[in-house]
Amino acid sequence: MNDFNPVTLFFILSESIGAWLWVLVALAAVLLAGILAGIMKLRSTGMPARRPLVTALLTGLVTTVVFTFLVPIWTLAGPGALGAPIDILFAVLIALIPGGVAAAAVFAIMALVPNRRAAAIA
Amino acid sequence: MNRRKFLIAGSGAALLAGVPASLTVTQARAQTSDTRAHIVIAGAGAAGLALASRLRRSMSNATITIIDAKKEHHFQPGFTLVGAGIWSPAQVTERNVDYMPRGIEWIEAAVAEFDPEANAVVTTTGQRIDYDFLMVATGLKLDYEAIEGMDASLIGRDGIASIYAGPEQAKSSATAIDRFIETGGVGLFGRPAGEMKCAGAPLKITFITDDKARSKGRRGAVELIYNAHNPAVFAVAPVNDKVKEMFAARDIAVNYSHVLKAIDPGAKQATYATEAGDVTLDYDFIHVVPPMRAPDAVKNSPLPWQEGALAADGWIEADKATLRHPRYANVFSVGDIAGVPRGKTAASVKWQVPVVVDNLVAETAGRTPQAIYNGYTSCPMVTGIGKAMLIEFDYDGNLIPSFPFIDPLKELWVSWLIEEKGLLGAYRAMLRGRA
Repeated sequence: MNDFNPVTLFFILSESIGAWLWVLVALAAVLLAGILAGIMKLRSTGMPARRPLVTALLTGLVTTVVFTFLVPIWTLAGPGALGAPIDILFAVLIALIPGGVAAAAVFAIMALVPNRRAAAIA
Repeated sequence: MNRRKFLIAGSGAALLAGVPASLTVTQARAQTSDTRAHIVIAGAGAAGLALASRLRRSMSNATITIIDAKKEHHFQPGFTLVGAGIWSPAQVTERNVDYMPRGIEWIEAAVAEFDPEANAVVTTTGQRIDYDFLMVATGLKLDYEAIEGMDASLIGRDGIASIYAGPEQAKSSATAIDRFIETGGVGLFGRPAGEMKCAGAPLKITFITDDKARSKGRRGAVELIYNAHNPAVFAVAPVNDKVKEMFAARDIAVNYSHVLKAIDPGAKQATYATEAGDVTLDYDFIHVVPPMRAPDAVKNSPLPWQEGALAADGWIEADKATLRHPRYANVFSVGDIAGVPRGKTAASVKWQVPVVVDNLVAETAGRTPQAIYNGYTSCPMVTGIGKAMLIEFDYDGNLIPSFPFIDPLKELWVSWLIEEKGLLGAYRAMLRGRA
């Protein structure tokens, strides 16, 4: 296993999740575009970034914490399977994926959609 | 000089003379060769398909023929999880055709006869196929019948389990384990005396049974006994010490030097050969691991070891660093059939294939083959649902962890994560020659 490199990891990931890999890549691209568009919108309108940023970070944090406990269940293990610091670290790293998605989505929505509608959506 | 001799001229001698010990498998690098050699691969299992994929990409002008009658492909490392009752047989069953690289001729028959003197094989359909190079990747034969009273049809009945025989048998074994935990009694585990694939699996299924019994609050109702074939439970010393410690902590008894020789399903008795003579034990559940040996076509050919510990079961004679046959320089053996110590896992195949391919590519391109297989193998030792130890070691029994942050002798969820979520993708990538 000690020849891991980005190309090998790509093929392993591709074989593991199949077409979902490209769905995730597309989702990441959409979210990245949303973040960039949100930043540009905030700058062009002169709106402060603090509120969407803080809300996004809090949403991402809560989502990551929740998913940290769900990740072992995804692996068919019980929620109490995380016994060592390295286990928790990897669970957090995996949970950061949904956490990051949630944070990016909230930021983009709050930055791009007018305040009232954004609050309702978020 | 005939065609084969011409193809290997100049570099075979250098290979046979040996290569620097400092070179390791990690130095195997993708190269190409313009050779027009005919390469025959006997077997389309993990090793055969991985060989075909890599050879196709590295030798675009070569004619590559793969011979195997099987249409289904099984992800055998997943059998343990099917036996644990958490994976379905469908999760470990695929189609060979989906992994067959383009430009490969697939003959859907088995090899009936190897004739290395004439550089030819004969299929079960009577077809004679000449080759310049032969890759033997037939896998092995599960010899249930070598245990008196046992045959594979008994799996799932009368308290008999065996996760090795196939996905459906692994599923039947999961049912048998659950039934045993419900009813209670004595459970026997063990392994055969000879070389076997995935030597950690008999230990894993013991741990899993213990774990499932505990989670159901039934551990007090079952007595678990592991019958080791020699004075150790695992061949690698630190792993042996760790497993013995864990067995003691989990109240799993160990009988040493007990080899299953007969079973009486009606009476639920198993007879073991021991140093003190035969010993018969009563059981309510038994996990049978069959003796393993070379398929008949290999065993009856000139290819196996002629003497030594690997001769009796017909394992193919091979240089353990290059997997090349010492007597037939154009023959290589890869995977379970190779007569090398310890190399009967998918992880072994993952490292053996690049070495064989890179050396063959180098040789046919006029370069000196340099890749060496160091005996790397891996056993994600499942110790319960959600826990495993990621054990990796070489020919010498040295632990060689791939990830410095994972302690190979510690039960970790992250090791389970690799087993449950990582290995199948890595295995498929290996079949395509991409990992």
